[in-house]
Amino acid sequence: MSQHAHYHNARLAWRSLKRDLRAADVRALFVALVLAVAASTMIAFFLDRLERGLERQASQLLGGDVVLEQRDPFAPELRQELEEAGFTLSDQVDLVSMISRGERFQPASVKAVDDVYPHYGVSRVARGNGSEELASGPPRGEAWADPRLAQLIDLEIGDRIQVGQTELSVSGFIEREADQSAGFGSFNPRLMMHLDDLDATGLVQEGSRVEFEILAAGPPEALERVEPLLAELRQRGVEVRDIRQDRPQLGNALERAESYLGIAGLAAVLLAGVAVAMSTRRYVERHLDTAALLRCFGASQYQLVKIFALQLLGLALVAALIGALLGLVGQAALLALLVNFLPMTLPPPGVMPLFLGIFTALAVLVGFAGPTLLRIKRVSALKVLRRELDPMPPAAWLVVGVAALVFGGLLWLYSGSLALALALLVGGTVLLAVLWGLSTLLLNGVLLIVQSLSGRGEWSQALRLGGRQLARRRQAGLGQLLAFSVTFFAMAMMVLVRGDLLTAWEAQLPENTPNYFAINIQPDERDPFEAAVDPHVEEKSTLYPMVRGRITAINGVEPREAVSADARGDNSLRRELNLTWQAEVPEGNEVVAGEWFKTGTDAVREASDWMSAVDATPQASPVPISMEDGLANRLGLTLGDSLTFSIGNDAITTQITSLRSLNWDSFKPNFFVIFPPGVLESFAHSYITAFYLPDGAQGLTRELVQDFPGVTLLNVDAILGQVRDVLTQVTRAVELILVLVLLAGISVLYAALTASRPVRAHESGLLRVFGAGNRMISRIQGAEYALLGFASGLMGAALAEIATGVLYVTLLDLAPRLHLGLWVMLPLGGALLIGVIGHALSHSLRRQAPAASLGLLGEA
Amino acid sequence: MLKAQSLCKSVTSGERSLTILHELSLDVAAGESVAILGKSGSGKSTLLGLLAGLDTPTDGELTLFGKRLSRLDEDGRAALRAGRVGFVFQNFQLLPTLSALENVLLPLELSPRAGESRTAQDWLARVGLGERTSHLPKQLSGGEQQRVAIARAFVADPELVFADEPTGNLDPDTGAQVIDLLFSLNQEAGTTLILVTHDHALARRCNRCLRLESGRLVPFSPESLGEGA
Repeated sequence: MSQHAHYHNARLAWRSLKRDLRAADVRALFVALVLAVAASTMIAFFLDRLERGLERQASQLLGGDVVLEQRDPFAPELRQELEEAGFTLSDQVDLVSMISRGERFQPASVKAVDDVYPHYGVSRVARGNGSEELASGPPRGEAWADPRLAQLIDLEIGDRIQVGQTELSVSGFIEREADQSAGFGSFNPRLMMHLDDLDATGLVQEGSRVEFEILAAGPPEALERVEPLLAELRQRGVEVRDIRQDRPQLGNALERAESYLGIAGLAAVLLAGVAVAMSTRRYVERHLDTAALLRCFGASQYQLVKIFALQLLGLALVAALIGALLGLVGQAALLALLVNFLPMTLPPPGVMPLFLGIFTALAVLVGFAGPTLLRIKRVSALKVLRRELDPMPPAAWLVVGVAALVFGGLLWLYSGSLALALALLVGGTVLLAVLWGLSTLLLNGVLLIVQSLSGRGEWSQALRLGGRQLARRRQAGLGQLLAFSVTFFAMAMMVLVRGDLLTAWEAQLPENTPNYFAINIQPDERDPFEAAVDPHVEEKSTLYPMVRGRITAINGVEPREAVSADARGDNSLRRELNLTWQAEVPEGNEVVAGEWFKTGTDAVREASDWMSAVDATPQASPVPISMEDGLANRLGLTLGDSLTFSIGNDAITTQITSLRSLNWDSFKPNFFVIFPPGVLESFAHSYITAFYLPDGAQGLTRELVQDFPGVTLLNVDAILGQVRDVLTQVTRAVELILVLVLLAGISVLYAALTASRPVRAHESGLLRVFGAGNRMISRIQGAEYALLGFASGLMGAALAEIATGVLYVTLLDLAPRLHLGLWVMLPLGGALLIGVIGHALSHSLRRQAPAASLGLLGEA
Repeated sequence: MLKAQSLCKSVTSGERSLTILHELSLDVAAGESVAILGKSGSGKSTLLGLLAGLDTPTDGELTLFGKRLSRLDEDGRAALRAGRVGFVFQNFQLLPTLSALENVLLPLELSPRAGESRTAQDWLARVGLGERTSHLPKQLSGGEQQRVAIARAFVADPELVFADEPTGNLDPDTGAQVIDLLFSLNQEAGTTLILVTHDHALARRCNRCLRLESGRLVPFSPESLGEGA
């Protein structure tokens, strides 16, 4: 076909589309596509920016894009190699040393930084004039101290402190370090100094515990270039952290919110798809005469498909652009809602989500409208003479099959998991078949009940007649029932999940979540400390004993050789772990594999025996331990594996007998490894606890600091507040998305109801001819819609109940529960909603003269 | 131009077979105008559908523009019609979403040629609607709509025009005007015209009249029955 002809077909398509925009089905189709694109791009834009923002935040927290750490200074060749790959390097040395001012001593965690520090972000430092944001470390000869250190050794700005063999002047108090999250990884307070002063301290010597770090900052390409080098370094036992591996975890709440957004986006797309399918059906029916005429004038089947496909394509592209624009505005709204949580300005929106949005619109169009549209090419030219000659509609299985396939593809694209997409697809298809059967039964049941109504009142008569109308168009009615059920189901599900998410989030951080941690409580201080704290606090966690121990062997082999190359640099193998002992599973922990210690069992008794015979060698049998499942996964360990810990001067061989899952966001002490009682008691240990202190009771902290000078109190109110903020904001984001899903649902209702308008017009015309009054027709139509809505609501409730159950268990990690209100609200709400919308949409029909309504049927 | 030989058309409904056309033959020469008359249900429209290649016969052979239609598939028959066959229908068959001008342009857009917009406008002017090019069908009267349809039938300079009861939906006066227009344009363009009607006045204006009786065409003189159907 010539260029000229292509142009003409496109022009013809465009002309008809321009006029067609007034048609209800084209509008419904357009709105549905706009919603699908708006929902998907909004979420894609947002997640894309969040993702890239988190990566940047990771760089900031990490202090660079790649951080290398080892016990010895790094070789110049390595530095050269990194620089050649495109990195800027910054050196840092970490060590623990005693700091003194006059007679007061305190161990501090010293960090010596160079002039390049920090690569990213700023530190907040108080230098006597309020807090300032500084993109540098302390200058030579000066030091910045943690306010806690200042409190412990009574420091003021300008004081001189002794660090090793040199003296430094304290010029600032660090409120926040540029490159460290406000955690409490190190219990010693921070002292930051210049790297050039380090030599003078004499602290770096053979055998001293010093960590040398290279912080490298560079573009993503640089990171890719050094990937093999990093792998080799990891194998050599260098701790390598990069932004891909060490990006900050979103935390449970945000991860769930991300899942929710993803599901909600897809729910909106699915609903929009259903609306598209229904509108296309009407669209095609409306254009069969046109197609026949074009055929008559010599158009080929190919031309026909092209003309109408071009029309819909044009519609989809315009819808995609508007949708993408709305998506762009929407994601800005989402970000505005989440602004307090996001630590920095996010990178600007990328183009990728835009393409994704347009692709989604086209996919929805092809998948949900394609087979129906192809009906148009089978139209016979003879239809211009014999109007009743309509081509058969495509088989239901074909329409559903193609739609399912395309939706499955979108699922795959969005979730990135083929298995999930396939499972949902197969499940969905089976479900649809079951639904079809159930709908038939349900519709029959409802109709049977309605027909048996014996009342003579106007409403019973309307219900009987409405039911009969529904029964007459059983197939169409079934299709609508299915569409409405799926719509109600998706809407209800998003509402339910939102509610349960919020409840779960509230439960996660109840009012009296601990806001103080107390560490370094000595065994002899344990009881007095509890006595001092208990009367003032409402909620306190158990006091956990804490022993520091290092893993020295895994299954009898050097740890770094026992684990996979990737796990060799894992912190748990390089540092001492905090070990505890407990007789019971700690609150908030759940044993996911193996069995918790049974007090009195052989293993524990033997372990105790071992303790009693601590002088005897060798150890008789391994001590059972419980390990956190995340750590076990990282190290590739499982039940039955043995670990040797070096604690003090002893080595204890243990065996993993249980794995625990726990919630790291709980603001309670959590442990990677728990021993049974009777093993660690004789080692040096201190206690840790967390408690909630209400705002007014801050006086207690002063008393505690005075009475227990060795105990460190950490206030986590700020972090807690931040997490609460995140939850509130995420909640709002979730609500915003919910509105989109509900709108998509309403577009389905609109599409379905406009699609059935001509048939209903014909029926009401007939009824009118036979003498039915406006009031009667109005009631009959209202009753028919309400019956449809009721049955759909019932079905939607069943679906939502099943689906939320599955979703909670598999994806959102919530406990499933029964929603009784749903079973009442959805059928009644459905009857009301469909009844009212349907009734309103038929209003103009009822005002038409019967001749006009009768003529409406089949008119182009 | 058009030659039908022993055309048969029967339809089956359930177990019964109903023969509509039986061994029907027809030969139409270029430039001729032929009226086909018949009672309601005699199969006039079925015959028109077959002659225009919109439908396929159960048996027999039809040759249009020298091509045997039985050798062409649906698309082939459509391609044969494109630009060479015009249609005028009883119910006008204008696309409701297109303006008068756009409706007239329709056949040209399917078989494009240069200056089509000018041509379409000229044709609308010739049917007396030069001032109403942008009106939608619903803004035009029945007679005006049929005039747009006539302009559309002739715009592509076809060799053959089929008209199916062109005055069937019009009042007698308007019908007469439309017929005058149809025949004058036909004569000017030298187009072959095949017209299906039960209006004798209309039939009389054709070179030849045939009546469809029991599935066959028989020569017929409309004058023998006087005016009207």
